Amino acid sequence: MSKFPFAGEALKSLFKAPLTEKYPLTPKESPEKYRGKIKFDANACIGCGLCIRVCSPNAITKLVDTVEEGQNITMKFDLGSCTFCGYCADFCHQNAIELTQEYSMVVTDKNDMIVSGSFIKKLPQKKPVPQKKATESK
Amino acid sequence: MFNRLIEKSRAKSPWIYHVNSGSCNGCDIELVALLGPRYDCERLGIKLAGSPRHADIVVVTGPITSQSKDRVLRVLSQVPEPKVVVSLGSCPMSCNVFKGSYSVEGPLDKWTHVDVSVGGCAPKPEAIIDGLIKAIEILKEKRGLNNV
Amino acid sequence: MDILVYIFNILIFPGFLFCFFFGLLLSGIDRKLVARMQRRIGPPVFQPFYDFFKLIGKGHIIPRGAAKKTFMLAPIIGLLGVVIISMFIPIFGYVFIPRTADMIVILYLLTVPAVALILGGSSSGSPYSGVGISREMVTMLSYELPLVIILLAVGSKVGHSLGEIGNVTFSLSKVAEYQSKNGMLICSLSMIPAAIAFLLCIPAEVGTVPFDVAEAETEICEGPLVEYSGKYLALYKLMSAIKMFIMGSLFVALFFGGTGFGTGIKFLPLNTLLMMILVIITISISVSFLRAIVARIKVEHTLKFFWTVPTALAFVSLILTYVTTL
Repeated sequence: MSKFPFAGEALKSLFKAPLTEKYPLTPKESPEKYRGKIKFDANACIGCGLCIRVCSPNAITKLVDTVEEGQNITMKFDLGSCTFCGYCADFCHQNAIELTQEYSMVVTDKNDMIVSGSFIKKLPQKKPVPQKKATESK
Repeated sequence: MFNRLIEKSRAKSPWIYHVNSGSCNGCDIELVALLGPRYDCERLGIKLAGSPRHADIVVVTGPITSQSKDRVLRVLSQVPEPKVVVSLGSCPMSCNVFKGSYSVEGPLDKWTHVDVSVGGCAPKPEAIIDGLIKAIEILKEKRGLNNV
Repeated sequence: MDILVYIFNILIFPGFLFCFFFGLLLSGIDRKLVARMQRRIGPPVFQPFYDFFKLIGKGHIIPRGAAKKTFMLAPIIGLLGVVIISMFIPIFGYVFIPRTADMIVILYLLTVPAVALILGGSSSGSPYSGVGISREMVTMLSYELPLVIILLAVGSKVGHSLGEIGNVTFSLSKVAEYQSKNGMLICSLSMIPAAIAFLLCIPAEVGTVPFDVAEAETEICEGPLVEYSGKYLALYKLMSAIKMFIMGSLFVALFFGGTGFGTGIKFLPLNTLLMMILVIITISISVSFLRAIVARIKVEHTLKFFWTVPTALAFVSLILTYVTTL
């Protein structure tokens, strides 16, 4: 029976339990250190823009709005454009970006896939510039 | 009563057709893994159809390249109603790393109406199952051409 | 009164309705068994019913380059041919249309579904279907030969003992009577090669792996059925499901026949139940088991295989019936 190598196995498998993981009925955890959906902590961010420089598909944008206390900075992460490489989380020295273990991102409207966070950046007080002494007097 | 039978059958037997328009094959491998014994999608009634005229759900992967754009649109027009278009991965949503290239025509919803988008690069098979279940729900609402 | 019985036979049992239910159920059992052999869960057993009703509710598109009337009539011709065959096969001695030469009629009518597939494919106007129909024609050529010799072998065995003209009988009702007196034909040694050859011919007729080059799914986009959609596709799927039932029922009538395992019971529902169980066992051995373990073979190899192995087995059977009385 060398031409039918799986014949015995097929007959035995008929009486064994199936190996299927019944996904929607039994939930599934993704492994540790899985690079899933991005979680952004706006309070830790300082708006340096290193993540924008490192992102390969240019998925991160920074919008600056001037308000009375300083600047209102909004960082938007477009998950529809993200490769989930994890460079932004590696390069952020404030640890404001974290890639969680969530893997199921199913939407009907593309705009639902944007993760954003905004914070207010207080600009430092400007010291008054010392006046130059007039060297020549009129 | 016959209409209710047809509507119930539409939700229990969705057939897929897979179109690859220039992708890196990562999402295709995850889609084909769905048909194996581990994540058996045949228990939901899903079958891979051989021809676009037999399919209900069209799954598109890859950014739409210039060479494949006409063909993808032609294949999409050959699928009879009611149909659902699912874009798999982040390439059809926004061309991912290939943005601005000379041969990439743009995201899929610039050219046709997309019903469900599954994010990820590449999405896990469980996420694809979630996306297909949502597509089946949308399919239940649509009506065919002869209004049965 | 006779007319009413005939109409009941054609429309309900064993005509259209019974074939519809049992054919689709058989196709569902086949898919479930293949899935279990591959250690998966598999679709529910009533899945082909859902497929059929979904396809009826879908829109259909007729391509511009297609021959319209042939395109629409081809599946109906195939379905009618297959339903008519079911009336000629006796269910354990209960015959619906007794005739003297059933086997020749069945042999001719068995080519009608295959020809309907070829007609549908050639009227589609697509190059994929052209390739598909040429492969279907070669497959048809290859399995007709062993089938004729098997029927001759069975007919000559029964004809010898009944003393017919030329020592061959072509009537299925006489085969059933012979088996009710002398036990099942599969128990006689000279018929075993013919039974094995028939089991090998069933997958080719039905169009499943390993002999399904005509409908190769990923290779030529489903071959002759590539342009079909909606209700016409539903009729084609129904036709191939009923064909599975017909071939199984023919095997049971030829080799396992008689009237109720020699007990002489002539109660129709009980006989039907027995026939259904035997048909399920036959199909699961010859169609499902083979489908789970083998891959598809090329069309040249199909021809070479059918004209050597099953033909040789059937010839052995035929010669044994003339030489011995085993």
